[in-house]
Amino acid sequence: MRDTQRLFGKACLLFGAALFAAPVHAEEPKHGGILRIYHRDSPASASILEEATFSTNIPFMGVYNNLVLYDQHKPQNSIDTIVPELAESWSLSDDKTKLTFKLRSGVKWHDGKPFTAADVKCTYDLLMGKSKDKLRKNPRETWYNNVADVTTNGDNEATFNLKRPQPSFIALLASGYSPIYPCHVSARDMRVKPIGTGPFKFVEFKQNESIKIARNPDYWKKGFPYLDGIEFTIIPNRSTAILAFIAGKFDMTFPTEVTIPLLKDIKAQAPDAVCTVAPINVSTNIIVNRDVAPFDNADLRLAMVYALDRKAFIDILAEGQGDIGASLLPPPEGVWGMPPEMLATLPGYGPDVKANRAKAREIMEKLGYGPQKHLSLKVSTRNIATYRDPAVILIDQLKDIYIDAELEPVETSVWHAKASRKDYILGLNLTGNAVDDPDQNFYENYACGSERNFTGYCNKELDALFDKQSQETNVEVRKKLVWEIEKKLVEDVARPIIMHPRQGTCWRPNVKNYTVMVNSSYNGYRFEDVWLDK
Amino acid sequence: MPGDAPVTVSDSGIEIADAYAADLKRAGLRKSGLRGAIGHFFLRHPLGAAGAIIMGVFVFGALFADLITLYDPLQTNAPLSLTPPSRAHWMGADFMGRDIYSRIVYGARISLAVGIGSTLLGCVFGAAIGLTSGYLGGWVDLLAQRIIDILQALPLLVLALVMAAALGPSLRNTIIAIAIPLIPSVARVIRSNTLALRELPFVEAARAIGMSEARIAVRHVLPNTLAPVIVLATAQLGAAILTEASLSFLGLGIPEPYPSWGRMLSESAAEYVRTAPWLVIFPGLAISLTVFGTNLLGDALRDILDPRQRS
Amino acid sequence: MASYLTRRLMLMVVTLFGISIIIFFLLRVVPGNIVDILFDSAGMVNPAEKVKIERELGLDKPIPVQYLAWIGGIAQGDLGYSYVSEKPALDEIAPRIPVTAKLALLALIFSIALGIPLGVISAVKQNSGVDYALRVLSLTGLSVPAFWLGLLILMAFVARFDTIPIYTEPTKSLWEELLLYSVPAAAVGFRSSALIMRLTRSSMLEVLRQDYIRTARAKGASAQAVNYDHALRNALLPVVTIVGIEAAFLFGGPIVTETVFNIPGVARFLVEAIRTRDYPIVQNLVMFIAIVVVVVNFLVDLTYAALDPRIKYAG
Repeated sequence: MRDTQRLFGKACLLFGAALFAAPVHAEEPKHGGILRIYHRDSPASASILEEATFSTNIPFMGVYNNLVLYDQHKPQNSIDTIVPELAESWSLSDDKTKLTFKLRSGVKWHDGKPFTAADVKCTYDLLMGKSKDKLRKNPRETWYNNVADVTTNGDNEATFNLKRPQPSFIALLASGYSPIYPCHVSARDMRVKPIGTGPFKFVEFKQNESIKIARNPDYWKKGFPYLDGIEFTIIPNRSTAILAFIAGKFDMTFPTEVTIPLLKDIKAQAPDAVCTVAPINVSTNIIVNRDVAPFDNADLRLAMVYALDRKAFIDILAEGQGDIGASLLPPPEGVWGMPPEMLATLPGYGPDVKANRAKAREIMEKLGYGPQKHLSLKVSTRNIATYRDPAVILIDQLKDIYIDAELEPVETSVWHAKASRKDYILGLNLTGNAVDDPDQNFYENYACGSERNFTGYCNKELDALFDKQSQETNVEVRKKLVWEIEKKLVEDVARPIIMHPRQGTCWRPNVKNYTVMVNSSYNGYRFEDVWLDK
Repeated sequence: MPGDAPVTVSDSGIEIADAYAADLKRAGLRKSGLRGAIGHFFLRHPLGAAGAIIMGVFVFGALFADLITLYDPLQTNAPLSLTPPSRAHWMGADFMGRDIYSRIVYGARISLAVGIGSTLLGCVFGAAIGLTSGYLGGWVDLLAQRIIDILQALPLLVLALVMAAALGPSLRNTIIAIAIPLIPSVARVIRSNTLALRELPFVEAARAIGMSEARIAVRHVLPNTLAPVIVLATAQLGAAILTEASLSFLGLGIPEPYPSWGRMLSESAAEYVRTAPWLVIFPGLAISLTVFGTNLLGDALRDILDPRQRS
Repeated sequence: MASYLTRRLMLMVVTLFGISIIIFFLLRVVPGNIVDILFDSAGMVNPAEKVKIERELGLDKPIPVQYLAWIGGIAQGDLGYSYVSEKPALDEIAPRIPVTAKLALLALIFSIALGIPLGVISAVKQNSGVDYALRVLSLTGLSVPAFWLGLLILMAFVARFDTIPIYTEPTKSLWEELLLYSVPAAAVGFRSSALIMRLTRSSMLEVLRQDYIRTARAKGASAQAVNYDHALRNALLPVVTIVGIEAAFLFGGPIVTETVFNIPGVARFLVEAIRTRDYPIVQNLVMFIAIVVVVVNFLVDLTYAALDPRIKYAG
């Protein structure tokens, strides 16, 4: 039953992907109208560079432009789907260390000042901590570790000078997380009243209430955007929000936030709604404290991963709508994840759960545990349903291998502090990946010294492999390297990945020309050519 | 809980017994013993009896949860996720495949502990503060009134929220967090009653025949304020259970995976309200019924206890 | 009377002072602060940066010093800045006050209009079928969780009328506004009306048994006159107290209702501010609610004095 559901889901998805891969321009786009979307929470600020959540990207991406951007109508982001935006074209020097962008001229910031190459330099100096003005938070500093500096040549040319070749560096620049900021507006003002070059101007952000952006009449891309504006109403209560969508108060749900049971509800109550389900490239994973007892013991770590029944997680949490994978999003939606046959050979990934658990118990018994002697520990996680629910299942599964775990719900305000202090034994965590690219994933989550590497996992050998794959220009060769790294990470129990969930996005049939990305939930919200048929 | 608290409770217990004996005598019933008393109660207070039965069922469930359930309330089970009520799982299963009937029965322990614990705590302290301050007056009243004013000027749920966040999630802390905001409303009502009673002739008469102030307060004033305390306490017992539900709905209170009714009704469960209504209906009914029961019982007790009904 | 008023006003100041101390210190006992929240949305913590932001916000100073800075600011009319939005706290708080005030007022009107008459009827017709029915109704009001009721109402609206009475954008007319707020006001006022109904009933029953009522009856006053003139006036005494408490509750307490109906009022904002440890918002908002409650209590006491000749106010 569940398998058929899952297959059905995949079929729908592929159909959806096929449908949107070729932009449907059969109908003549109409201008005007306000797109109404509900928002899941009140974002911390409007400054995309300072945040690491799509709560900020979705409402504010339309305010900005990047140098380059993933094609907003190709669901699978990859190096081949990158299109120019503020850059008209780009070129790589022969030694592959100078990435030069030719910039569009005549582009104006929303306050009327002209956009120049200096703004590009300012933005990246800010990100690399080289400017006087500082970002309060800089979650993606590691992305630019390989950038020596950014230089300009006149007003219309900017060059990124790389320390070593990094063919997929441009993939990071194409993310929704890489907008260009103006030199003349302070980092503080960008949090409160952002100025961009994008298709929409910032109007207002009322905390816990609403966010409004309106059509930029002087947008450099003539004739765009089609919409007069977008209004986000903040509704943290998910059932209220879904009810409001069903009642027609909104044209669209908050993208990639509709869970599978709610999706069914929408389909039943509002049959005309158009819905797609896609991976969000946010993995549900376990963080293990390998510095203190008991998990300083490699055998015990291994026993734990043998106890995992990943399919059960997916079946319970997402009614089968999720994927089993290692650190990178698995194919077909994921570009880099290892093939399923290979995955099945890794510890704990074999399909026979009973055999895996027997093996886990065997290890536990060797370590001195058994039916008479259980291991007691705490599983810490954020006190939010999306974290708590998988933690409860994990606790239940660990019971099978003589581990009595208790849930320790941690308030959001102290979760990251606690995690960075390594004040946990086992933790249940979600990791969002902005770009489906190994550089982003490995450097952010597994490299020695990265601020987002909560577990403090550090393996010099692997660090060298990260650099090796990063420099590799041949995609097939790079893939092999990436799979080798993924395998090592699994065997080392670096950060056991439980699942890659899928979630839904729904809209009314009069919303046209919107494409849901299938391997990222952070990059597809420019909204410049979305239009309303009414 | 401080040592003197149960004494006050048993005092009121004696009052209940006294009042009840008087009630029986007045009704002309010569029957003595428990059976007669119960029969009389059922006849005179059918609604109260219904409340007593409801409460009895829940207390029984709480005490003997392991005997009357078939499943472990914490056991997750993928194939059972969101199964509708059936013969095997007659209240269905939640989305983690946990048996809802078992969770509700075990949840009775938590909800009743929170309800009774925090109400007792709140009422005992509230009544003590209200009585002393209303009866003694003077600087005691002044001080008590300031404490009450301060507590009361903070919204109940907000105070509970901050307390719960400050204390951290656990059963004991939830009880404390809910009890403290209950104190001022009890204290205020008791005080205003005491204030009026103090001036009444029978109190002055007692004073005239040389009764000690403490004795007057306990023998004459306290019994006369019990009726509103019980009306309030029963309302507060329900309010406490409801506050716990609200705290859990907002993400605080008793932590997962313990099956508190409030937690079962939390936001994540509310998402399934139409696709799997049993997730929301049964815990909601459990809460509503228990609160309903306490209130019915409280009303009946109030009728019995009201001292002016005697003459 | 004048000296009584001065004394009361002084006491009110003392109370507010106590509240300011309690909320200020209680908030700082809660683990985590705004900087943790800020870093949470960035999915990382940078210890050096954390210390810097804490210093910028003055969170590194001793707590008593922070308290004095806050009180000093209030004295000069400066409520500080929201840590989250970085806008003046006053600008964040002010627009949300009328929203909750309207909701609370409507709910209070609803609960009084429903609670008092039904309570009186229930008492006068004690032990009749009407009494039983009303008592069961009032008990239902006290037994149903507010958010459960809210959700059921929302679902009923979607199923029946194909619309949903939640707040999504500012209302355009008074009528529209009244319509929008009336549903959540009824949902939240149902509980209050039940409480008022119960208290009216029990208080009324008590008064009906008092000697002076019996005297009035013995003197041959009509049942109607006894019930509605003598009894009700005296029975209202404790009801006034509970109405005061409910008014205060409705102003600061409809958190779950504001959440379910998505109303951008102070209660929901306060919860959100507690969650994000936005001290300036929480402190000032709690103080504002406290002022409202204290003033309402004062008015309740004045009404009390006006209604009950037995209470004498010492000079």
